[in-house]
Amino acid sequence: MGNTGTIAAIASPRGPGARGVIRVSGPEAASVVREVWCGDEPLAEAETRGFQFGRFDDGRGTQPLMLLWMPGPRSFTREDVAEFHLPGSPPLLEAALERILSLGVRSAQAGEFTRRAFENGRIDLTRAEGILELVHARSEAERRAATALLLGGLSDRLAPLRDGLAALRALSEASLDFDETDTGHVPSEELEAMGNRLLDGLREATRWEARRSKGTDLPRVALVGDPNAGKSSLFNALVQDARALVSELSGTTRDVLIGTWDLGEFQVELVDTAGLDSDATGPDREAQRMGQRYLESADLQLWLVDPRGLTPADLEARFKRLPAAPNRLLIWTKADLHPAEGLAARRTRGAGPQPIESRAGAVHSPAQDLDGLPRLAVSSSSGQGRSELQAAVAQILGSEGPAGTPIPRREREIGIRHQVALNAAALALQGGLEAFQVGLPLDQFAQHLRQAGAQLDAIHGRTTAEDLLTRIFSSFCIGK
Amino acid sequence: MPDQPEPFSAPLRHHPHPAPGPGDWDVVVVGGGHAGVEAALAAVRLGARTAIVSFRRELFGEMSCNPAIGGLGKGQIVKEIDALGGIMGRVADATGIQFRMLNTRKGAAVRAPRCQSDRHRYREEVCRLMEACAGLDIFEGEAASLLTEVRAGTPWVCGVRLKDGQELRGRSVILTTGTFLRSIMHQGDEISVGGRIGERSATELAKDLERFQLAIGRLKTGTPARLVADSIRWSELEEQAGDEFPLPFSWATPRDKFPALPSQPCHITYTNEAAHEIIRANLHRAPMYTGAIQGVGPRYCPAVEDKVTRFADRAQHQLFLEPEGLDTDWIYANGISTSLPKEVQEAFVHVIPGLEKARFYRHGYAVEYDFVQPSQLDDTLAVRKVPGLYLAGQINGTSGYEEAAAQGLMAGANAALWTSERAPFVLARHEAYIGVMIDDLVVTNPTEPYRMFTSRAEYRLLLRQDNADSRLLELGYGIGLVGEDQYADYRARKGRLEAARKLFDSTRSGQKTWTELLRRPEVTVRSDAAMEKALAGFCLSAEEIDRVETDIKYEGYVKNQLEDVERARRQEGIEIPPDFDLAGLKGLGEEARQKIMELRPRTLGAAGRIDGVRPPDVALLSVFLERHRRAEAEAR
Repeated sequence: MGNTGTIAAIASPRGPGARGVIRVSGPEAASVVREVWCGDEPLAEAETRGFQFGRFDDGRGTQPLMLLWMPGPRSFTREDVAEFHLPGSPPLLEAALERILSLGVRSAQAGEFTRRAFENGRIDLTRAEGILELVHARSEAERRAATALLLGGLSDRLAPLRDGLAALRALSEASLDFDETDTGHVPSEELEAMGNRLLDGLREATRWEARRSKGTDLPRVALVGDPNAGKSSLFNALVQDARALVSELSGTTRDVLIGTWDLGEFQVELVDTAGLDSDATGPDREAQRMGQRYLESADLQLWLVDPRGLTPADLEARFKRLPAAPNRLLIWTKADLHPAEGLAARRTRGAGPQPIESRAGAVHSPAQDLDGLPRLAVSSSSGQGRSELQAAVAQILGSEGPAGTPIPRREREIGIRHQVALNAAALALQGGLEAFQVGLPLDQFAQHLRQAGAQLDAIHGRTTAEDLLTRIFSSFCIGK
Repeated sequence: MPDQPEPFSAPLRHHPHPAPGPGDWDVVVVGGGHAGVEAALAAVRLGARTAIVSFRRELFGEMSCNPAIGGLGKGQIVKEIDALGGIMGRVADATGIQFRMLNTRKGAAVRAPRCQSDRHRYREEVCRLMEACAGLDIFEGEAASLLTEVRAGTPWVCGVRLKDGQELRGRSVILTTGTFLRSIMHQGDEISVGGRIGERSATELAKDLERFQLAIGRLKTGTPARLVADSIRWSELEEQAGDEFPLPFSWATPRDKFPALPSQPCHITYTNEAAHEIIRANLHRAPMYTGAIQGVGPRYCPAVEDKVTRFADRAQHQLFLEPEGLDTDWIYANGISTSLPKEVQEAFVHVIPGLEKARFYRHGYAVEYDFVQPSQLDDTLAVRKVPGLYLAGQINGTSGYEEAAAQGLMAGANAALWTSERAPFVLARHEAYIGVMIDDLVVTNPTEPYRMFTSRAEYRLLLRQDNADSRLLELGYGIGLVGEDQYADYRARKGRLEAARKLFDSTRSGQKTWTELLRRPEVTVRSDAAMEKALAGFCLSAEEIDRVETDIKYEGYVKNQLEDVERARRQEGIEIPPDFDLAGLKGLGEEARQKIMELRPRTLGAAGRIDGVRPPDVALLSVFLERHRRAEAEAR
């Protein structure tokens, strides 16, 4: 865990926003910029004031880039610093970070930019105390985030891989540290076979972690409302890649549907759950329970109401039964069937749906008051109100992030770090195995294993030389 | 080969104590084992007025256990000692009766030389060098206590009092008392006091050391039976000969006069179920199992009663019968270290093939002894809280002649440097196994005797046995450990290697240079007639050709590891002041705080290697240290 080298982290506020910022600091910053920069204008490497405009090559495609280049010592950390200002879309931002990390840049530890600023004399002694608190708090937060992530299943997958690698390392170390005549010697075919099994495991875990971190960490928007309120119609209108989260018990159509809704600026996960009013029993209740969990984890609830024939008392009653949510938007559905009339017009001050923009203050508060609830009229069939809905959702989940339930960006960052580490471990092992098969000596093969081990250690704690020796001595009777 | 990196932050290193007072000697060494002799000779080489005290002057360099030098992880240390001007390699070369390069098929970094020694000739050669050493004063006797004087409220060690009352006033004292501190020998239920058969224990000295309230631990080691050669049925046994073209340890050993002695084979036999049965049936008489022995023995060289208990599924264990010399018929039975009663030892040995009629010169026994917890040492091997006192060898909880000798050399050099007010000599983990060992020791409290394994070195691919001279000789010459002859010889060798390397870099075969070709695992100089022919004019020895080839084959990995060294450099350079108070540091993990306070690592890098210290702890500590540094600077 050296203090040196080049580090990177997402530096913009959490959650989707208009702009995402990745900050890179250290001696390799310039070469990172050169590596990812592509654009019509050539890159100006001398110190410049303000932004340079170009594109960022993230390895899969390019995205618009505003670059702030601050050569040391005239930067926050007194090192070379590059700030990449990118579109606020989390998937794009993460692709960019992944690309930067793949260039040999290390993901910054908690508070590390600040620490460098301090160590390089940018910050005076009086601020040191504050930084200590910060470093501590951040590393605590990171620890919690990492724990949460590991509990999410990676830990179970990682444990056998770490164990397998430690066993393989112990065998090869035993072979290196004890003579052929001793029992510690292991045939190379056996080492190779173990290595190949481990490689498969690492690749599988990388795929799993990559799959998992897609989708699950997008801001979640849930549709709620009566069974006939038009949830499915709206869901189908907004989402192209719907997939059902089928409960093993029920398998009915009332299970949870999940899809990605592209808001242009960023994506959200849209969830359609079973109807709320059913007196469900057995499997249906199970389905509802699952839906309930999704509802409770949503960052925004879209409450769909078909206003036709609904009295204010009915509306009030349904409002009270809604599951809790940090943000809520009331949608009058089937707007094409009740233009400018009905409950919407009668209940609200002024005519028609309330424009979101004028209620900016209320947008971010968890609306517990029916009258204060922002509302919109939408028609799934005509497309009426669709762009307003999109703008409203984008605003609520926008740069400030939804109040109450922060989108765990640290978790997403750590997730990427895990993928990068798993992938690097797999590559180190693969390189070693390929060379070993064509005659690379065991001591060099062991270096590949050590590198793979260091990558896994970065995810989940350290394997020390003593750990390996303990393994060796518990498995072998060594000893002249 | 890329240049070795700069030594770590040499100017940062300082001795833990201010300069010493006057004395008749600069360095007084107590103990004449492998640590003691290297310590004394190193101090003399650095110009220190040096005295050595030992029970008997004709026992310098005695091999108390197996008659062998080197081995995996240890052979590399011998080469390092040699590159720093020490004698172990030269003596082993002059007195070896079988030389083998181990691990030849597993890569150059783990290849290691080992020899069987004529233990009498080995000891005699060490004695000859000691007696011939100008400027070394030798005293026979038992060191009974340390002389101290109080300076600024702290007792300083200023010499040694012998049992006969004689006082040696030394400005520094190095204790290399091996297993002799409160040592007890066990053989069945027979218990005798002493560190080696027929010799005394340093009981008075152990008692005197209590004054300093050092943390002490207890360890155990064992030794097997010695058998009579003509009682063994040799024709029954598998023979193991030395290498056909043996290589010496020392670069100073003339190749044309090596090997000096005729080669002797070892023989191999195996224990069997019948032997295991006898051992199991008598476990209740083994001191290790009756609780008579409290010290912890090594896991890597277990007693035979341990082997049959812990690895009950194994039907046999290997046993090497090693000759102890040319003019002796003593045979060392390597592999059956034991402290069982004599008659049980005889019973189980007599069912082993080839040993049915074996007679015993000496039975196996176990030794239990005190050691000083090495976390109390500075990385110059000075005791942090006792100015003037240095410790080296088994007293620090290590095992092995090689480990002891290396510590002796480093302690001798540093005591001499301290008393002449020169900067200390500390090796980093990427520079030498010696550096790995001492760095490990000063942040560990060993739970078993510490033995070197190559897996302890994270920069293993840098630390080859064949490049120890390139790694260390220049450093040793810089402070005066290495003499002019040895240095001139090294410069000449270096020139030859560089010329050969230029040839490989500049000669092409098709699209590729020879250097590039040699990177392929299957290409070797010997398999390529053109290369061999071209090299003929360069006057390279076979081992030098191997060296050039190995440098090329390992270059990529070396570069890789040097980058790791660079990454670690900053933390290795940040010192943790001895007076730095950790008690009030907020946010530090509790385990980390306790371990760091207990083990007192000298640098941030060393702190990071302690088990239980996590990266955020290191990050926090680095901020605290920086704050401390600035506060100190402002106060000044």
